[in-house]
Amino acid sequence: MLMSAPTAVFVLLLLGIPILQAVYFSMTQWDGMTATWLGPAAYATELGDPTFWRVLLNNGALLLSVPVAMAIPLGIAAVLHEHPFGWRFFRTIYFLPTAISWVVIGMVSARLFAQQGGVNDLLAAVGLGAIRTDFLAGEWSALFAVAVTFVWSMVGTNTIIFLTGMSTLDTSLHEAARMDGAGPWRIFVDITVPQLKRFIQFSFIMTMISAFTALFSLIFVMTGGGPGYGTTTLEFFVYQSAFSQGEFGTGALLGVVLFVIMGIIGLAQLRLLRSDD
Amino acid sequence: MTMLATSLPRGAAIRRRLSIRPIRIVLFVLMAAGSCVMFYPFLFMIDTSLKSQSQYLAGSGHSLISWGRLFAALPVGQELTNSTLVSALSLAIIVALSSTAGYAFAKLRYRGGVLVFLGIVSAMLIPMQSIIIPAYVNLSQFGLLDSYWGAVLLYAALGTPFATFLMTAFYRSLPDELVEAAIVDGLGYVSIYRRIALPLSTPAIATVAVLQFIQIWDDLLVGLLFLQNSDERTITVGLGVLSAGRVTDIPVLMAGSLLSAIPAVVVYLVLQRYLVSGLTAGIGK
Repeated sequence: MLMSAPTAVFVLLLLGIPILQAVYFSMTQWDGMTATWLGPAAYATELGDPTFWRVLLNNGALLLSVPVAMAIPLGIAAVLHEHPFGWRFFRTIYFLPTAISWVVIGMVSARLFAQQGGVNDLLAAVGLGAIRTDFLAGEWSALFAVAVTFVWSMVGTNTIIFLTGMSTLDTSLHEAARMDGAGPWRIFVDITVPQLKRFIQFSFIMTMISAFTALFSLIFVMTGGGPGYGTTTLEFFVYQSAFSQGEFGTGALLGVVLFVIMGIIGLAQLRLLRSDD
Repeated sequence: MTMLATSLPRGAAIRRRLSIRPIRIVLFVLMAAGSCVMFYPFLFMIDTSLKSQSQYLAGSGHSLISWGRLFAALPVGQELTNSTLVSALSLAIIVALSSTAGYAFAKLRYRGGVLVFLGIVSAMLIPMQSIIIPAYVNLSQFGLLDSYWGAVLLYAALGTPFATFLMTAFYRSLPDELVEAAIVDGLGYVSIYRRIALPLSTPAIATVAVLQFIQIWDDLLVGLLFLQNSDERTITVGLGVLSAGRVTDIPVLMAGSLLSAIPAVVVYLVLQRYLVSGLTAGIGK
């Protein structure tokens, strides 16, 4: 008991109490020094603010990239699992984004999506030069650029998850299906994917959590949340409200909303894990 | 990972390899094309950092000017030292807290232990952004924002729940007989932890360390807010601030990016398998 006490106290002091404080301060008008109690009305006010919904809409739009951020790594893992020539080398390359800071990724990405950047050059090369644009200057095109970068960054982690999953597969089923004349695509869809269910769920949760809570650095470096509120997500809005606008109460409130969303995802994960047994 | 290669009977593997040759060529080409997409940002960084600003704008020529300017624009040495110090201190706290607690939860059954364990593990769900404002105000009241300690404590707190989960799972996999035999030999629980459990858990500690090192080294938000003196900034924060300052000298930024990425990439290349086991540890059995 004594051996776990320091850990328990540490987590309680630095995470447990602050989250309770966040709930309290979310119902106040607070500049970091003096807080005036507003009560639950603070939530009503925030929910009536169109900016809040715009920010949530951005989060929603980013979630559309989650299936893509999973499908591409699933394909890569499936191919790597077949051990094509040089697969060890490829595996190292595909995992690499896992080690790189979103700050660095965002910095490169911002160049690639600029007016004279690589993405526009690529578009021009395939005959779409007419739509050459500074992606980061338009609200939706900037969000699109953030989403593409997010997908790129998730390739490493998700490929690792799927590849680990595939190494646990029962190969006798695959052999049997092959004997029965099933093609590789049929085998992948009907045998591999169902057997990977648990890994696919795990990757889904990880990707969702990243989409909601890991994009701060990317947005900070690529767009600063702009243009307008074009790429401001909930997590970025927490920072902006508190540290750019000095509204600590609103920031705390937004943080609580984010926490509730994470709680729902966490509960969903628990349900999924339970249903397996 | 060598497991993968031997999962098929050898004969079957060879037969398959020979029978579907054309498909394998297509797969190889696909993988190579994908690798180019994944590696392109690194090529871009390397290439751009080897140009001066005017060479970058002109699109041709190479030089080392930007690397020289990087060292003038950013206190690179200081920032790398700061990154190392902050990561190392946070890691030390995380490893100490998670290995003791993990050992206690796995091997010393006591009343309420499960509850405390669940409490710590459920703190994994708390996003950094949800507590960052209260934590900022609390730690500034204790004057911890003017030193490394504010950031170190917060990084340690954010990393400890998952690390504890991982260490507990590891210690649970050690046979109870090991502990019982040691007790018969007259060792107390604390010396069992120090002399037996801790040395055995090096792989689990490595997993925790690699995962957390990369996260802390690469983080911007905590460093940005909790390291208020520019002398204490980490390299990632230094870069983030530089880039947000609308610096137009892209090659200098790229040289900095590359330099900041190298330590984490080296750790990743050397300790890849620990990272892999850490990232997939949440899946369970």
